[in-house]
Amino acid sequence: MKRWKVRYSYLPQQFKNIDRILKKVSNVVKSGDFTLGRELLTFEKKFAKLIGTKFSVGVNSGTDAIKLSLAAIGVKRGDEVITAANTFVATVGGICELGAKPVFVDVLDNYCLDTDKIEEKITKKTKCIMPVHFTGYAVNMTKLTLISKKYKIPIVEDACQGILSSFNKKNSGTWGVAGCFSLHPLKNLNVWSDGGVVTTNDKKIYEKLKLLRNHGLINRDEFIITGYNSRLDTIQAAVGNCLIKDVKKLTNQRILNATYYDQNFSQIKQLKIPKRYKENKNVFHLYVIYAENRDGLLRYCLNKGIECKIHYPKPLYLQEGLKFLGHKKGDFPNTDFQCKNIISFPVDQYLKKKQLDYVIQTVKDFYKNS
Amino acid sequence: MISFVNLTKQSEEEKKDIIQSVKSVLKKSNFILGEENIKLEKLIKKYTKSKFCALLNSGTDALTLALHVVGIKRGDEVITVSNSFIASVASIVHLGAKPIFVDVKDDQNMDPYKIESKITKKTKCIMPVHLTGRVCDMSPILKIAKKYNLKVIEDAAQAFGSKYQNKSAGTFGDIGCFSLHPLKNFNSLGDGGLILTDSKKFYERIIKLRNHGIKNRNYVDEFGYVSRFDTLMASILVKRFKKLNEIIKKRRNNAKLYRKFITTHEVFIPAETKNEFNTYHTFVVHIKKKRNQLIEHLKNKKIMTAIHYPIPIHKQKAFVNKFKEKNHLPNTVDQSNKILSLPINQFLKIKEIKYISETINNFFQKK
Repeated sequence: MKRWKVRYSYLPQQFKNIDRILKKVSNVVKSGDFTLGRELLTFEKKFAKLIGTKFSVGVNSGTDAIKLSLAAIGVKRGDEVITAANTFVATVGGICELGAKPVFVDVLDNYCLDTDKIEEKITKKTKCIMPVHFTGYAVNMTKLTLISKKYKIPIVEDACQGILSSFNKKNSGTWGVAGCFSLHPLKNLNVWSDGGVVTTNDKKIYEKLKLLRNHGLINRDEFIITGYNSRLDTIQAAVGNCLIKDVKKLTNQRILNATYYDQNFSQIKQLKIPKRYKENKNVFHLYVIYAENRDGLLRYCLNKGIECKIHYPKPLYLQEGLKFLGHKKGDFPNTDFQCKNIISFPVDQYLKKKQLDYVIQTVKDFYKNS
Repeated sequence: MISFVNLTKQSEEEKKDIIQSVKSVLKKSNFILGEENIKLEKLIKKYTKSKFCALLNSGTDALTLALHVVGIKRGDEVITVSNSFIASVASIVHLGAKPIFVDVKDDQNMDPYKIESKITKKTKCIMPVHLTGRVCDMSPILKIAKKYNLKVIEDAAQAFGSKYQNKSAGTFGDIGCFSLHPLKNFNSLGDGGLILTDSKKFYERIIKLRNHGIKNRNYVDEFGYVSRFDTLMASILVKRFKKLNEIIKKRRNNAKLYRKFITTHEVFIPAETKNEFNTYHTFVVHIKKKRNQLIEHLKNKKIMTAIHYPIPIHKQKAFVNKFKEKNHLPNTVDQSNKILSLPINQFLKIKEIKYISETINNFFQKK
């Protein structure tokens, strides 16, 4: 394994001291209460409180959170769901699993969907608008809510990367009928496996989600709808219960790191930082900026031991898997531009100032030499 | 109290091993699709003599992905049984296909001789369910599948380690689907599942589909699912695997003891034929009359039992609301009123099995 000076994954650091978590895990093991157990109930309460909704439901992944939320509001084969053109494949995967069709909207320079371009995409078949709080940046939800009300189309938020992000001080995941979160190991709040959560204020949606994640069972022997098997393991909920109290703190640290990058990177004319609107609280699941000669910079940084990444190099709408939508190159110019010019730097809470400075200096050196 | 399952006991025995596994995975922090998964897949392939194995997030997902890759789609028909756990049918319904039920034999498994009359132009697949850990009568089923060019997907969720004519469950059809749910004989500490197949094509498509359909981090050929077995659990199961044969032996012996101790003629116990090697995920007997009174009586005597399953799928609300036609499945319905699952877990003591059997014998003798 390569020895990075500034590595991307911080998991070994996060889990250096795990005795506290292991104790909880071993209690679950002892109790034999592995599916839909007590720790899960506790976690769901804590999570709802953290985000600020009445309810939350633990599911098997962020993808499933999206799929089950859409199923809960009745999205089915042939329906259309409006979403962002630059998201991770899972947003669209969740839509496609239900046989619905993703309808893409281009994005702003902050990677969030352009709310001015939504209305032109609405048809009779549109059953849901799904904003993606991409990289941890909250979409302009005030505007989106107006559109949703005007056309009576519900919003389901893909907040997988946006835990604790907010718009006008209202958290992501509290605007739509449902908010979808991921607990994947690389997320700001993570567990030791795949995992996801849906938040909602709607009792009916909450009850429906609980059915959908557990085979549609109302008791052990009777099911009233055909559901799925998508439960957050009790053990993982126990891990989540230990980690959830750190989320606010680590989010603040990420914001501090990003602000430090911003201050320094804004001095480099070959870099462009997306506009930071004061209404959007960005939690920096990813720190993504634009760079001239991006591929050169990426190679240079990797050689210098900085584990940079691209989120993501090939736009979704041009992927083989979405050929059936009939899109052609150039349909979403902002998305195209981003795929070619963006670069992600490590921004996690465990980075030391020394490391941030090293990243900044390396980028400076690259442009000085080129 | 004689409980139906005893996960607490199992966990207690293995606590040290489990915590050690957790620690070693944490050290590497490779939580998703890690090397422990590959290790476990290898062990399972060897054990079942199957060419390929893919670990997934649940038995339900195993069925869904299997049906998906053999090409089941909207409007197709899949022949299966109504006395299974709902997951078998849900996976068919979610792909837009229609479940067609055939009745079962005395042993609760699909009656191969009732399949042909259900085949139509739309039939694409037969999905036998190896209920209770007993493999279906596969020879005639495979013959019919061949004759009509149908795919066979085995719902072997309850039958890990079971055999038919000395060949492992899940290796007869195109794909075999298993569950690793905590209540299974070979169990995880959360949801889990897997598929077995000899087809490289099916295997490669499934391992793509289980991971969003992505070819690598940045390229997606077709939209998939998220259905990955946790590395943590894989590392625990690599250790647990060593105990599997012992567990199966214990359960088989418990079944043998029941057959010896239960003497009343009011109880019918389906025989284990010489073709079968059953692993007894559940031990189901048929109570000819007064089943519900017997359950109450056993409960009073501190014996926990269960019914797998009291309401056949074709009678469930979700099915009736979706599919209008009537099903005539006399054995399935009759059995749902008679079956009773007795405790069979590997932690039972001989004297407990004797006590359960005698309690049943006495219940009927008294009358």
